[in-house]
Amino acid sequence: MKKIMHILFLSCYKATLLIEKKLQLKLSLSEKIRLILHKSMCDACTRYEKQSKLINKVLANSALKKDQTPDLTDLKKEIINKLQDLN
Amino acid sequence: MNTQQINLSEWVETYAKDLYSWAFHKVSDSELAKDLVQDTFLAATQKIATFKGDSSPKTWLMSILNYKIIDYYRKKANKPVRLDMQSFAEYFDEEGDWKTEKRPKDWHQDESQLLDDSDFRMILEKCLDALPDKWNVCIKSKYLMNKDGNEICQDLEITATNLWQIIHRAKLQLRDCVELNWFKN
Repeated sequence: MKKIMHILFLSCYKATLLIEKKLQLKLSLSEKIRLILHKSMCDACTRYEKQSKLINKVLANSALKKDQTPDLTDLKKEIINKLQDLN
Repeated sequence: MNTQQINLSEWVETYAKDLYSWAFHKVSDSELAKDLVQDTFLAATQKIATFKGDSSPKTWLMSILNYKIIDYYRKKANKPVRLDMQSFAEYFDEEGDWKTEKRPKDWHQDESQLLDDSDFRMILEKCLDALPDKWNVCIKSKYLMNKDGNEICQDLEITATNLWQIIHRAKLQLRDCVELNWFKN
C-alpha cells in the first residue's frame, strides 16, 4: 500500500528533490500535481519547502550585505613590488 | 623601467578596486579575492605583449580575472562526488520517508524576522562552510553568484542530474545544521 502511495504521491525523498528542482527550474505538470498532493499530506515536506526558500533568501541577502571593499593599499603595494621583481 | 611596466603599475592603482569587487562578488571570500587579483596582474605581465589596445585595459584585465575565477572553482570541484541513496540514508529510510529525528521541525518564527536576524545569518554561513568542498562550491555559485544551473554545470563539468542531487543533498545538510544550531540557543 505504501509503495503505491509513493508512486502516486512521491516519497519524502523524491518530494524534497522536486522542491529543490522547483526552486531553480520549472516542474512538469505531473511533477507539480504529485508534489502538491504530497505536501497536502505531509507537514514535514511543507516545512522543508518553506525553510529551503528562506535559506535561499538569506544567502542572497548576505552576499549583498557583505560586499564592502576593504582597504586595498597594502595589496596594491604588494602587487606592484612583485611586478617590479619580475622585471 | 620600460613603458609596459609603468603601465601595469598604473593599472594596479586604477583597476585593483574594481577587480577586487568583482572577484569578491564571485567567490565571497576576501583573502581569496585578493589572491585572485594578484594572480591576475602577475598573469597580465606575462601576457602584456598580447594586449593590443583594442579593448580597454579594464576589459582585458577582467577577462584574465574571470578565467582565474573559473579555474579556481574547477580545481576545487575536481574530485568527482559519488551520490547514491546511501548518501541520503542519513535523512531518509529505505522507503524514502523522513527519519524521525531528521524531520523538519516548525521553526516557530516569522520569515521576515529571520531574514534580518544577524545571528541566524551567521549560523547559516557557518553551516555553509561546513559543507564538503564541491557542495559548497555548487551552493555558493548558485546562490551567491546568481548563476543559472547550466552555467554552473559547464564551469564544473558536471551533469545536470548530478547537480540537482548535489544541491538537494547540500540543502538537506544545510537545513538540518541551521535547525540544530538555531534551536540550541
